[in-house]
Amino acid sequence: MKNFSFINEKRPHDSARKHVSGLAGYTDDIEEPNGTLHGAIGWSKEAYALIKKIDLSEVWKSEGVITVVTTRDIPGRNDVGPVFNGDPIFPSKKVEFYGQPLFAVAAISTDLARRAVLKAKIIYKILKPVVTIKEALKKKTFVLKGKKIQRGNPTKAILKSKNQLKGNFTTGSQEHFYLEGQVAFVIPKEDKDLLVYSSTQHPSETQQIISKMLNQKSNSITVLVRRIGGGFGGKETNFLTSSICALLASKTSKPVKLKLDRDDDMIITGKRHDFYSDYRVGFNDLGVIEGLKIKLASRCGMSPDLSGAINERALLHIDNAYYLSNVQVQNYLCKTNTVSSTAFRGFGGNQGMMAIENIIDNIARYLKKDPAEVRKNNFYRKNNKNITHYGMKIEDNVIQKIFNQLIKKSNYKKRYSKIKRFNLNNKYLKKGIAITPVKFGISFTTIHLNQAGALVHIYTDGSVHLNHGGIEMGQGTNTKIAQLVANALGLPYDKIKISSTNTSKVPNTSASAASSTTDLNGAAALNAVSKIKDNLEKFIVKKYNIKNIRNVAYRKGLIIFNKRSFKFDDVIKEAYLNRISLSSSGFYSTPKINFNKKTFSGRPFLYFCYGASVTEVTVDTLTGENIIDRVDILQDAGKAINPVLELGQIEGGFVQGQGWLTMEEVSWKPNGQITTTSPSTYKIPAAKDIPKKFNVEIFKQGKNKENVVNKSKTTGEPPLMLAMSVFYAIKDAVASVGKYKAIPKLDAPATPEKILMSLNELKNRINYDN
Amino acid sequence: MTSNIIKFILNDKIQEIHNPDPNETILNYIRLRLKKTGTKEGCAEGGCGACTIVIGELKKNNIIYKAINSCIAFTPSLEGKQLLVVEDLISENGSLHPVQSAMVNYHGSQCGFCTPGFVMSLFSMYKNNNSYNEKTIEESLSGNLCRCTGYRPIIDAAKSLNNSKSDQFKKNKRKTISLLKKIRPKSISIKNQNKKYFAPKTINELKKIIRKYPNLDFLSGGTDMSLIVTKQKKDLDNIVYLNSINELNYIKENYKYIEVGATTPLRQFELFIKKYYSDFNIILKRYGSVQIRNVATMAGNIATASPIGDSLPLLLSLDASIVIESFNKKTILPLKNFFIGYRKTKLKKGQFISSIRIPILKKNIFKAYKISKRIDDDISSVCASFNLAIVNKKIKSIKIAYGGMAAIPKRAIYCEKVLLNSNFSENIILKAQKSLEKDFQPINDMRASKDYRMEIAKNLLIKCFSEIKQNKLIRLNY
Repeated sequence: MKNFSFINEKRPHDSARKHVSGLAGYTDDIEEPNGTLHGAIGWSKEAYALIKKIDLSEVWKSEGVITVVTTRDIPGRNDVGPVFNGDPIFPSKKVEFYGQPLFAVAAISTDLARRAVLKAKIIYKILKPVVTIKEALKKKTFVLKGKKIQRGNPTKAILKSKNQLKGNFTTGSQEHFYLEGQVAFVIPKEDKDLLVYSSTQHPSETQQIISKMLNQKSNSITVLVRRIGGGFGGKETNFLTSSICALLASKTSKPVKLKLDRDDDMIITGKRHDFYSDYRVGFNDLGVIEGLKIKLASRCGMSPDLSGAINERALLHIDNAYYLSNVQVQNYLCKTNTVSSTAFRGFGGNQGMMAIENIIDNIARYLKKDPAEVRKNNFYRKNNKNITHYGMKIEDNVIQKIFNQLIKKSNYKKRYSKIKRFNLNNKYLKKGIAITPVKFGISFTTIHLNQAGALVHIYTDGSVHLNHGGIEMGQGTNTKIAQLVANALGLPYDKIKISSTNTSKVPNTSASAASSTTDLNGAAALNAVSKIKDNLEKFIVKKYNIKNIRNVAYRKGLIIFNKRSFKFDDVIKEAYLNRISLSSSGFYSTPKINFNKKTFSGRPFLYFCYGASVTEVTVDTLTGENIIDRVDILQDAGKAINPVLELGQIEGGFVQGQGWLTMEEVSWKPNGQITTTSPSTYKIPAAKDIPKKFNVEIFKQGKNKENVVNKSKTTGEPPLMLAMSVFYAIKDAVASVGKYKAIPKLDAPATPEKILMSLNELKNRINYDN
Repeated sequence: MTSNIIKFILNDKIQEIHNPDPNETILNYIRLRLKKTGTKEGCAEGGCGACTIVIGELKKNNIIYKAINSCIAFTPSLEGKQLLVVEDLISENGSLHPVQSAMVNYHGSQCGFCTPGFVMSLFSMYKNNNSYNEKTIEESLSGNLCRCTGYRPIIDAAKSLNNSKSDQFKKNKRKTISLLKKIRPKSISIKNQNKKYFAPKTINELKKIIRKYPNLDFLSGGTDMSLIVTKQKKDLDNIVYLNSINELNYIKENYKYIEVGATTPLRQFELFIKKYYSDFNIILKRYGSVQIRNVATMAGNIATASPIGDSLPLLLSLDASIVIESFNKKTILPLKNFFIGYRKTKLKKGQFISSIRIPILKKNIFKAYKISKRIDDDISSVCASFNLAIVNKKIKSIKIAYGGMAAIPKRAIYCEKVLLNSNFSENIILKAQKSLEKDFQPINDMRASKDYRMEIAKNLLIKCFSEIKQNKLIRLNY
């Protein structure tokens, strides 16, 4: 990479102008051909029951209904499970969660379709559902066998330690609440081919699942996605909508659109895993953890879906940024009669990290030390204490630097003293502060997924058509990859045309997930570009008899050989006339990574992202309500391609994490019925909830040690975990009520109710002790 | 003369809809009939703001712009108004509106799906204010959810509008006003298949309609009732729409009470009530988003009789009364006698609330608190309201009401008794707290547990009296 110039270009999202004008098209906005039908899904009103009878006669008779599909209409695989079976499109005998699809209709309008499905008469024999993690642990119902990972001898180490603590901790589920709900639009073509538009993060798997369902070859299904209105993991494996839509289109031979009503979306589709952990820890007087045993149990819902990989990532992130010399982690993948929990930004990593942060916080409070100091005392070191519990050597550690810079920048210590004074002088309003670190591993831990493809054409006028396997879901991957391509070709950005993700252009893609979309697809696009450049260079060298080439540069529309330069557009025209290929596919597979899932060891990650945040809150101890007064963030983005887009990811991720840990609460009745099914019952942060002061910076010395595009680091998932400091700041405010002498018991999400209950528990405990 | 043609302004032209389906939402009209897909459906219940449009209304030779949720407003309510959707903010020469440019320049969009709604909310803020401080901005955005950006760039975009130039709508204002004058609302009467829809212009007309069709449902802002169509998938067959009746849109006051007409939007009322009861203003600002408060009314809140209707505990503690009318009768009823069960009231078919009377108590202390998971646009776990008079350090009169604590919004009679004539010492407050257990047996739901509800109900007593004793507010600085 000689003469490599780093891109550092603030550029609006490629679709920004269209977003603000209402001209950016989403799946529901595609013009419908005449005769298009509209679907709706009929779903179970029981969480766990045998299906005695499904009477759809009134549904068939309902106004505008053209057809009804049930399990009998599925010619092939009746399952949308991505890795394992267990997610039937329509179950035939037994329903396993409230909201499970049972049938679907196609009608002449969405309204009539939705009215029709309400007319089904279904008779169930109700069984006793397992709803909570505790019930599942008790009944030993699991979706997959749990994993156990151990280093050293934690039992012995804990016993030998001067100080010991044990306890348990819960983090909550979370609804994705992408603003664009699940939607698909399927148009039948000749030869039973289907053209599928779907709001999905995973077009290739959509293609495969539909083809298996219909017993057709994959080459008969084409999936197209221009952009989706938010994903966050919620559109990674939710294939029910597109599959059912394809089934209706296949049966009727008509175009069918199926969009889920918001309530249906929130009832039918999976959410984040809530986690329960149980731990014993031994530590010295500096708070350094000497031994840790921890059990991590998660609510996986009724099927495995991605729970295996998600729980694995929780295990891999139980260390966060801390060296754990003697550690044992065991996980339990609880099967419950709730919707199958699925991918969500952080993907288990965040749940593992919250568990260890809770332990560290408790250790600090036990020792009456500043939690920031105890965190520092446990950090991985540069030259020793740098091997993770799964045997990976950490080579790119910058957490100390980031942490120390942020403590200074945020004036943490002075503010903490000020806060303590405030708390002495205020009876009911209490302030709290916390700083937390983030270390997050980048790569799919399922190694074969770390590959990507791209397709680049240059037309004879010198304009470039760019296609790759990544999905644009707001993160700006298309913009960044276009910037990479423009830079590699030395062309202005507007010469690069971004196009819809299309399974017929780039096949066998991985989901846009694991924060790696730009890393993987950007590298694949650059690979395609380099192949075309090779063709061009060979052609020029031969034609103009250029000798002793040291390097070739592409700059400002010129191709420069030593001192001789050619106009890019002229070269293209000439190359075409001389029958040189101006198109290429590109491919990339992540180097260096390997992971043995049996021994749970190896190098599952190409690199780590680091960051830290400081949060200050005020809590009303009479009601549990709270506000975030100030947040300071320092996040490593490597050499950021487009700093404004990274900033957007950092801030947006933080606020989403804030929601997860504070106000967002998914709620189920004991009978398994979900009760948070709309924005009126489920609250994501709104404009007024964000920090009053919000200082966000990208770590200036950042540079990816590994050979990642532009030496950048992703900012997809890691910033979500920055919000951990919100939770621990609230806990700090609670602790102030016990004069910082006792450890509060606070679980996430820290809703006003949970905070008030935690305050009560703490007060009662102190009174009892006195 | 009644008409079944709905006329409104779209892009400087008068647009007509002949005999529309009275249950068709404006959102569906825009997307499915006008084929403009910029306006998005996010939730179909007025909870996310993706469908936000702006309605221009003629008022005293001026245009008032209101952001509303098009997913829960029906097309006939466009009668006599200007409809503005996101695509129409672009100038004829293709240049972006200042609001749109700001959103691009400050990176206010990521996935872009919520963006049109934000643009429209900001557009109405831009048109209705001369400058935009943080409070104005946060309030204007209170009904728009974004899951990508974390809002900071959107707020910055809004702040930047302080330095922006005027837009094409200002230049075009005269023309728009003259068009609006041409289509001043008519009395509407629609019969479409089984559905009837009336939008009378006067109380007299209304009474005649009620007399003929006693089974009509009264529709005003429709922020609750429209969900019968969009969520329960049922028809509203017989609608009488009240908001065209100017006689019902007023705020009057005499030395004893304030009288609020039934169709007065909350946003109008909240501004007015501030000078009498500032906490009333604070609670109403958190009642719902701007889009909701632009159309929702206090009369609607009362008639819906939800146990969590935020204006109700406040009105109860102020001992408000309501004026109920039918085609031949007018009665005044104290609000405390109005609610008889969960969403059940004394209102009979053919009766409507024409106004609300709120006593003016200049010497009293009035305090109200709303506790919810989220500050803006959330439903209360508990809403509490205190109205008391203190003479010589003794409570001479006290009325306390709570929402979210029972099947109906209710006065805390036992608690009031404990406190009346007391000096509200710590002991008395403890007793008063205890007595709330006699007043209420709250329930568990997804918003709050019964224990938490009881606990904060009790704690709000402490908060109220601590504020009184210390003579300052003990509140979070939202």
